[in-house]
Amino acid sequence: MNKRLQRLRLKETRRLWAVLLAGKMLGLLGVLALMKGFTWYTATHAGAGTLGDVTHQANDVINPLNTMWVLVTAFLVFFMQAGFMALEAGFARSRETVNVLLECIFDTCLCGLLFWAFGFAFMFGAGNGLIGHQYFFLNGAPDTYGTTGVAFMAYFLFQFAFADTCSTVTSGAMVGRTGFKGDIWYSIAVSGFIYPIFGHWVWGPGGWLSTMSPHFLNSFTHGAVFRDFAGSTVVHTVGGFIALWGAMALGPRLGRRFKRDGGGPMPPHDLTMGSIGAIILWFGWYGFNPGSTLSAMDFTGMGRVATNTTLAACAGGMAAILFVYPRSRKWDLGMACNGLLGGLVAITCPCYWVNTTGAVIIGAVAGIVVPLGVDLLEHWRIDDPIGAVAVHGFAGIWGTLSLGLFATGAYGLPTPDGVDTSTTVKGLLFGGGLDQLKAQAIGSLTCVVVISLVSIMLFWLVDLTRTLRVPAEGELEGIDLHEHGTHAYHMEFGQGSSFSTFPSTRLPLSHGNGAPEPEPDPPIPAKEPV
Amino acid sequence: MVHLVTAVIKPHRLEDVKDALRAAGVMGMTASEVQGYGRQGGKSEVFRGAEYAVAFVPKVKIEVLVDTADVDQVIDLIVKTGRTGKIGDGKVWAVSVDRLVRVRSGESGTDAL
Repeated sequence: MNKRLQRLRLKETRRLWAVLLAGKMLGLLGVLALMKGFTWYTATHAGAGTLGDVTHQANDVINPLNTMWVLVTAFLVFFMQAGFMALEAGFARSRETVNVLLECIFDTCLCGLLFWAFGFAFMFGAGNGLIGHQYFFLNGAPDTYGTTGVAFMAYFLFQFAFADTCSTVTSGAMVGRTGFKGDIWYSIAVSGFIYPIFGHWVWGPGGWLSTMSPHFLNSFTHGAVFRDFAGSTVVHTVGGFIALWGAMALGPRLGRRFKRDGGGPMPPHDLTMGSIGAIILWFGWYGFNPGSTLSAMDFTGMGRVATNTTLAACAGGMAAILFVYPRSRKWDLGMACNGLLGGLVAITCPCYWVNTTGAVIIGAVAGIVVPLGVDLLEHWRIDDPIGAVAVHGFAGIWGTLSLGLFATGAYGLPTPDGVDTSTTVKGLLFGGGLDQLKAQAIGSLTCVVVISLVSIMLFWLVDLTRTLRVPAEGELEGIDLHEHGTHAYHMEFGQGSSFSTFPSTRLPLSHGNGAPEPEPDPPIPAKEPV
Repeated sequence: MVHLVTAVIKPHRLEDVKDALRAAGVMGMTASEVQGYGRQGGKSEVFRGAEYAVAFVPKVKIEVLVDTADVDQVIDLIVKTGRTGKIGDGKVWAVSVDRLVRVRSGESGTDAL
């Protein structure tokens, strides 16, 4: 403090301060002038135009802004690929790392081309309630998509990033034993056909779930339609259930023994990578959910969705840690990652229509659904190395149903220039009755049943080509070497980490360092060798 | 008398060999990651489309101390469970041990097994 006062006495310092202050004043004046000028401009120019001009000028601002928002969030969703790669690679064994990484990259390239060729056409082209057939190879694309006011190509990119997410979810449960040719076959089916066609039912123009078009369904739900804001069902339940059937068709990795057979999971090889992957996914979810407003004008909606997303992730991670702790008496990093992802998956569907308390409860329940789901798969002897089925499949179902419970009824739908509150969504707990819950249950059940049937057929067909699973010797040697000819980690001989030792303490172990005295080990009973 | 049985085997056979030895009553084992080559002289891997030679192939070396009377049985067991029939299955050998002491108790010889 004294030094600063002394420095103030110097003439040069005083001069410096004067110059800085003058600069700030000039800047402030500039801003004030700009504000004044803007008011004058809008008062004289915009105000003087006709009504048509006003709309025109408004669209000149609104459409680019909405497009910007959609593009930025599309980039965020795309970045989730990095999260998936890190999470899946980290949770896998080191011998299957190259395979995991290449599957994610290959799926991304494949999905982009398929979505351009016909995926987008099936999903978002005009057609009937079951499938769209417009914009093949993006032919005949207008400037903006539908009534969104968002540039068509930006909308395409955003939806491609979603489709890519779905196909990557699938590979998570099939790590370590899927032949690469088999992976190509089922990836074509998932990102080219299954995801786009199911997606059309919910998000496409005139999709039958989004309108509840069969008359008996419509009267059953009293007009409430299935709603999935950002894809708990469309992306995550679809991906999770294809993953489930894939893991069942493949069988467990060789040497994987399950809990009731006295075994346990195969340990992950890099939890630093895995947990950073989970956080990158969380970051990417800020594109996934808030971006699904497709409108930067609905700024309150964007904020609400982003906060709900965050709170659900926090609650999911926390619930999973606390739920698992009493069992193992250990603070579990892997389950914390899966729990927060479960929270994110669950909030994806209801994020726009619930309040913050609802988001916390939805996330917390998801954080318990995930460890229970992992237990269930362990009991069924299904080997899911990443936890994709529990996180995306089971938490996705919970999230979809939760809208029917926690929707407050205060929020309507985002529109290109703001909010439309003429139709609101209200759940059971807020006095909306059972209608929304029924609609959600119909959507979720349809997804589980249809996706399961299609997946069983798909994996049966792929299995017929004998490319689904790698041969046993290739799997034992490591799928990386067998399919890709290289290891992920080439440790140079003599440069490994196995030569470090514990530092010498030169202290008696039992006292002098404040630690409680260890119990002396009981003598080990000698066993007769054969 | 005590013998030291050493085997160099394929990494993915380790678990099975360990289970078999344990089931047969062998109470301890030391395993280390090693690299080496035999008559085949290494192998080749691929990176960005180009092959490169790997002169030293990763293996696992296991060391087991056993009563001299059990040596043949243990070697047979390792050979049986470690074998895949493919090139690079490794080798097993045994040498006699002059002195063996358990650090914790000071027991020596076969008592220390």
